Amino acid sequence: MSIEVRNITKGFGSFTALHHVDLEIPTGELVALLGPSGSGKTTLLRIIAGLEVADAGTVHFDGDDITDRSARERRVGFVFQHYALFRHMTVFENIAFGLQVRPARLRPPKETIRAKVHELLRLIQLEGLAQRYPSQLSGGQRQRVALARALAVEPSVLLLDEPFGALDAKVRVELRRWLRQLHDEIHITSVFVTHDQEEALEVADRVVVMNQGRIEQVGPPDQVYDHPVSPFVYQFLGNVNLFHGRVDDGQASLHHRAAPAGPNLPDHDTVVYVRPHFLEIHRQPNGGSHFRAVIKHINRAGPVVKIDALTEWGDLVQVELPQEKFRELRLSRNESVFLIPKEMKVFRKSAV
Amino acid sequence: MATTATFTRPRRKALFRAQDATTESWAVRGLLIGTAVLFLGIFLFLPLAVVFTAAFAKGVSLYLASLREPDALAAIRLTLLTAAIAVPLNLVFGVAAAWSIGKFEFLGKSLLITLIDLPFSVSPVVAGLIYVLCFGLQGLLGPWLAAHNIKIIFAVPGIVLATIFVTFPFVAREMIPLFQAQGNEEEEAALTLGASGWQTLFRVTLPNAKWGLLYGVILCNARAMGEFGAVSVVSGHIRGLTNTVPLHIEILYNEYHFTAAFAVASLLTLLALLTLFLKSFVEWKSRQPGAPEEAAGGREGAA
Repeated sequence: MSIEVRNITKGFGSFTALHHVDLEIPTGELVALLGPSGSGKTTLLRIIAGLEVADAGTVHFDGDDITDRSARERRVGFVFQHYALFRHMTVFENIAFGLQVRPARLRPPKETIRAKVHELLRLIQLEGLAQRYPSQLSGGQRQRVALARALAVEPSVLLLDEPFGALDAKVRVELRRWLRQLHDEIHITSVFVTHDQEEALEVADRVVVMNQGRIEQVGPPDQVYDHPVSPFVYQFLGNVNLFHGRVDDGQASLHHRAAPAGPNLPDHDTVVYVRPHFLEIHRQPNGGSHFRAVIKHINRAGPVVKIDALTEWGDLVQVELPQEKFRELRLSRNESVFLIPKEMKVFRKSAV
Repeated sequence: MATTATFTRPRRKALFRAQDATTESWAVRGLLIGTAVLFLGIFLFLPLAVVFTAAFAKGVSLYLASLREPDALAAIRLTLLTAAIAVPLNLVFGVAAAWSIGKFEFLGKSLLITLIDLPFSVSPVVAGLIYVLCFGLQGLLGPWLAAHNIKIIFAVPGIVLATIFVTFPFVAREMIPLFQAQGNEEEEAALTLGASGWQTLFRVTLPNAKWGLLYGVILCNARAMGEFGAVSVVSGHIRGLTNTVPLHIEILYNEYHFTAAFAVASLLTLLALLTLFLKSFVEWKSRQPGAPEEAAGGREGAA
């Protein structure tokens, strides 16, 4: 089922959580709402679910205006960050809840409910734990039970509010891959909220980047990552180094050094973003865009080596380089080197 | 041998030092504990002992006779009746008030909380007088009630009303913080799963709060049975008709029937002890996790 949100505005007291938000989510897609806390992503999700009422605007499922329908009537599956499992019920009772509260004429017979619950338990790979209580499960298991409980009522859309936010790093990665696989199997239109850009880029078909109650950009992960439309999107989707620069006669410069691939822009002050892995370390200057820096800290743990360097004008910048390259260069602390930006994003200063 | 000795000695020393760091000297400890025990002895244990010694002072037969006396039986019946009406009503009112205060945001919420606390801050005598002024013969509705032959003051309805007023905050006060602490997520989950408001209340909210609820009911019941001031004002002290147990005790005492007075008083004391026991039991029970490990493990095989 497709979801469409039109011109949604929502405020809490004097704080405006959403400003005239429009969003379309096609049937069967897995979409991430990505943004920092306070960007309005959870509020938008709760408005789609019917748990929150918008001040203005409409919500449509498959073209039908469902703005006035209650959460109960919308048939959405909702998964909460802190699971919200019924703590006095077993796993079995939790999953069966949605079917058991149906009015008698719509309620499936006991045997059907039982079969359905066991089918879902198989799906979430927790077949042996039907009689456990939520307090006896790990965080990852609880969230899978919450997902099964939401799926039991065969919802038209699945909404997940920071579903992996309360889990530890390793379980989080496992569970989000599992969610992706699950979605490939059941193709239910799904929206999940996250503040973790890695999670959004890895799992979603499309990413909706939100900031201060507005949608900044919508697109497939690679497009959003490679072609950010605003400084916010660029710096939110990964680590960045910020430089101040200028454009004169269409030529960009960075701290009075020529910057490569100057974009076709009118003259103005700019900010220049360079991702840490787009800064190259050299022992010799290249005669153009290079600048001097002194290595202050080296972190070799992990797949890439992370280096903090102090530029000649006194800013600390982050550089990432492959282990091989690092071994080749034999860098050490307090060594003076040349940094050359390979790729950069130039934005008008006023846009920041 | 030598190695063992050198090994144990530093360890012991360390143990003592750790204790010294977190406790007071013997003199201070002794003084504090002594004061507490003395206080408890004089103000709690001594009266408790006195009640029972005085009750049994003239033998078991007189004790039992004082309880079997018709006026005493009537007082016990009235007290039980009052509690049987007041407690369930306050259970419903209390849950309704706590549910709305704990789970929703609305205008005038703090005013409502203040109103719920009113019975605690108003003297019971005033609480009784409120009803006399409303329903008494000289009161607001008095003439109308008299014309329709409805008796509230100096009758059972007045006693029940006064008791409900005085015991109103117990359940609500117990439930509000509990509901607030539990948050709304489970209710929201139930809602998105298609449960109605009533289904959510009876299947999710109340089962989660059952021990808190029971706690509130126990305290409410104890106060309903023991209330003196408010009931005394509206009762009229008609023997065998409008005397509750506390009022009956007062009358017996004023008429120098000390043994009988203490015999009936011992009933209320036993109620208090039972209440305390139940209260501790519920407190202990509510601290247990959602379900005992063994029970769940045992049932797993059946699934």
